[in-house]
Amino acid sequence: MLSDLLYRVRLLFRRQRVESELDEELRFHFEHQVEANLASGMTAQEARRQARLKFGGFDQLKQELHDAHGVTFFDSLAQDVRFAARMLLRAPGFTLVAVLTLALGIGTNVAIFSFVDAWLIKGLPFPQSQQLVVVKARDIKKGWIGNILTPGDFLSLRDQAAPLSSIAAWDMRDFNLSGDGTPERVQGARVSASFFETLGITPMLGRAFLPQEERLGANHVAIISRGLWASRFASDPRIVGRKITVDGETCTIVGVAPANFQLPLMGAANIWTPMAWTDAQRASREGVGYGAIARMKPESNLSAANMQLKSISAQLERDFPATNENELFYLASLRDEIAQEEGGDQVLVCFWIVGLVLLIACANVANLMIARASGRAKEIAVRSALGATRRRIARQLLTESAILFSLGGAAGLLFGVLGMSWIDSLVPGRVRGYLVNYGHVDLDLLTLAYAFGLAFVCGIIFGLAPALQASKLDLNGVLKEASGHISSGKRGMRMRRTFVAGEVAVAVVVLISTAFLVQSFVHMAKADPGFRPAHLITTQVDLPKNKYSADAQVRAFFNQGLERMRALPQVESASVTRSVPFTGLGDVEKIYRADRPVPAPNDAIYAQYSAITPDYFLTLGIPLRSGRAFTEADDTGTANVAIINERLRKQLWPDVDPVGQQLVIGDAHTVVSIVGVVGDVKMDRMSEKPRRELYLPFAQAPPRSAGFVIRSSGNDETLAAAMRDAIWSVDSQQPVSKVSRIDSLMADVLAPDLILSQLAGFFGLLAVFLGAIGIYGVMANSVAQRTSEIGIRMALGASPKQLVTLVVGEGLKLAIIGIVAGVLVALALTRSMASILYNVKTSDPLIFTAVAIFFAFVAVLACGIPAWRALRVDPTIALRYE
Amino acid sequence: MAELKLELPQGTLDLLILRTLTLGPEHGWAISERIQQISKKVLQVQQGSLYPALHRLERRGWIKARWSTSENNRRAKYYELTRAGRKQLEVEESAWRKLAAAIAQVLETA
Repeated sequence: MLSDLLYRVRLLFRRQRVESELDEELRFHFEHQVEANLASGMTAQEARRQARLKFGGFDQLKQELHDAHGVTFFDSLAQDVRFAARMLLRAPGFTLVAVLTLALGIGTNVAIFSFVDAWLIKGLPFPQSQQLVVVKARDIKKGWIGNILTPGDFLSLRDQAAPLSSIAAWDMRDFNLSGDGTPERVQGARVSASFFETLGITPMLGRAFLPQEERLGANHVAIISRGLWASRFASDPRIVGRKITVDGETCTIVGVAPANFQLPLMGAANIWTPMAWTDAQRASREGVGYGAIARMKPESNLSAANMQLKSISAQLERDFPATNENELFYLASLRDEIAQEEGGDQVLVCFWIVGLVLLIACANVANLMIARASGRAKEIAVRSALGATRRRIARQLLTESAILFSLGGAAGLLFGVLGMSWIDSLVPGRVRGYLVNYGHVDLDLLTLAYAFGLAFVCGIIFGLAPALQASKLDLNGVLKEASGHISSGKRGMRMRRTFVAGEVAVAVVVLISTAFLVQSFVHMAKADPGFRPAHLITTQVDLPKNKYSADAQVRAFFNQGLERMRALPQVESASVTRSVPFTGLGDVEKIYRADRPVPAPNDAIYAQYSAITPDYFLTLGIPLRSGRAFTEADDTGTANVAIINERLRKQLWPDVDPVGQQLVIGDAHTVVSIVGVVGDVKMDRMSEKPRRELYLPFAQAPPRSAGFVIRSSGNDETLAAAMRDAIWSVDSQQPVSKVSRIDSLMADVLAPDLILSQLAGFFGLLAVFLGAIGIYGVMANSVAQRTSEIGIRMALGASPKQLVTLVVGEGLKLAIIGIVAGVLVALALTRSMASILYNVKTSDPLIFTAVAIFFAFVAVLACGIPAWRALRVDPTIALRYE
Repeated sequence: MAELKLELPQGTLDLLILRTLTLGPEHGWAISERIQQISKKVLQVQQGSLYPALHRLERRGWIKARWSTSENNRRAKYYELTRAGRKQLEVEESAWRKLAAAIAQVLETA
């Protein structure tokens, strides 16, 4: 088969030579024949005449030889293409609608595919990234999964896991930069010395960390990002070796990371320092944990490595039963982990949805082509009467659709690029830097190939049905009909109706899925965070240990800061908290009821705890459920008190009011009395479940790292600067993080879901629009074909109402078949979306019913114009057609 | 003298060409002459079907062609059997023999 094609192609390119060789071969034969005739005694003239007689038509023979060569295949292909282009140009309306429809379908697919490509197909921007993994832990009994390791477990794995060539722990952290220039609070991370080596990254300037820099005392070194190097240090080429002040301590810059280097899991880090653990920390197997990434040896693979980790986990379980019981360590691909975190599931759902939209678009175009082919029945009949074979005609029509779909692919590419930049513009600036493959979402070869491959495959599949259909004409029937418009028989119409019903079904599936996505977003955006986010402004500080070593100094700093902020105009209330909602900070401690025995390490309950000033609940608008809030009287020297949230109350004191009860916190076993219960607050995501929360009075446990939160009654922008100045009036050297509105922090967190729901809304509308066009097209065509029938009905006295019912009823019947099928399919399919939906039941009949009714309504509307046309049929003219 | 000429049944020309070429490479004219001679002029090969058949066989890879000098010092296109052609000939020959035997059987007994 292949050699056959090669033979044909070779012939095509060596046409001239083949032609002359043919001539020569035939001439040789002819002359040989003449000589033979002469030898048998003929005269010269007679010999030539006989030879020519025997030979037959020279040109005809050559044509047959061409056929035998298969050269004609290309000849007729060129012919087909020329003819198809002429036919498409002659029907510009049809061509435009078809190309635009396809462009919408293919364009959305190209845009979404480019994200699928960047997030799920392309490797991470690290060398041999397929060997990169994250280390996770699973409790095989309780089922929870964690992605942090305690230092003890981390070090055991580092020493024992043979399949790993390198492993690194990391921990997100903000750092204070001061000394040169304005004090600045910079996002960063503490990492094992092997961090850069594990990822396979060498610094652009300087070097990576050395193993000995993991030791306390030797860890005063830092690597900075290229962005920070440019913005804060003016791209100083001699930066390596320079001393800077990090968290109040002198630190030497040893390297600058290359441009765009980020590990997407840790946010936009701009400074890295070595992870140094105390001996006590190194031995710890409970409590604080760290993220861990690792690189597998090239000869190892995930399942083999996980077998190894399983036996190491079992050994650790035997050695440390108190902490490691039921704990299984395992590896997961770093790429999957990142994709999961960044919304890989959402991207995939979008990908499915746009696939379905494309299906609808293709069905529309196929319908248009069938309608057109039946309009061209006469032309096709004449061509087949003149000897064109059925195959030849089908091929001609297929060529037309291939050209149509290629045009659609080209226009779709354009739409796709526009769509990509639209999606890109929806990504908030703050999130941009650390999306995986950020800046790599583009039209690469794979995306291009995908666009045209898609166009080609759709062209063949959806072009085939109309082509076969049209080429199967009943010649006699068509030629006998005298009038100008000819129906291609019932078969064409039946096929179009099937297409439309199917298309409506797919559109219903799309609309239902997208409605779920939009509903999920609305629920998320409207969800009660547990506080009133509008007009809350926050900024965080981390006081240096050497300057603020005593609790009294810390208390004094925050109290003075609060005083100055309260004095600002437009500040309604101000307070300080260890963890501000939606800023990603928080501490967790073990807790248990004082009247119960100490739980075993594995059964310990952990709660997020936060130190707050008395006004905190007032400032944020967090409702008090029972008891009281803290007051200035809850100070050092008075009884230790605490406030818990609803969730914790339900777990620890399900039946009684906990006010007056006692709770024990942490390894220090601090006993506190509960004085109040407050409502649950969302801390990280709108979709999170309530977490256990514990509040302590700031005065009794002042953290050096905390945030100011103020509620303003006016212009937030001017307040931001005033807030920073208030802090600097207390300590001019104190770095301050960016002042942010909490509602915009929440918007950043919601951004991916907002993008998803906007896309979903757009795709849903597109599906409805295409579905409506499909119904309209078929009904309009049906009315046009039945003009004379309608005329007769009118002449026989059918009322306008009856005519409208006839047309709309027919359209509605198709729509209802599609709607029922669509709802059934959606019932089965949307169940798998549950994981990315918030507070949405995929079994909720409301959306199914609403979409079904809406679509029926759209179908009636789409039948409106054809019905109106039917009413305007003039019986006298219509009957004259007969 | 009244010549008895038979139309070649469909598909048998390929078989005859392949068979003829087992004797060695030949050009088109000689192939048709040889078929005529061997069949004692019963089988006439029309040029109009010979050359398309030759080119078809070449396309399928059963014979290959090369230009060479003929006995009277002229450039001519010579065809020869390929290995695939030899195999094809075996297949077609045995198929033909079976067919012929079956037909003969029917003619004699029925």
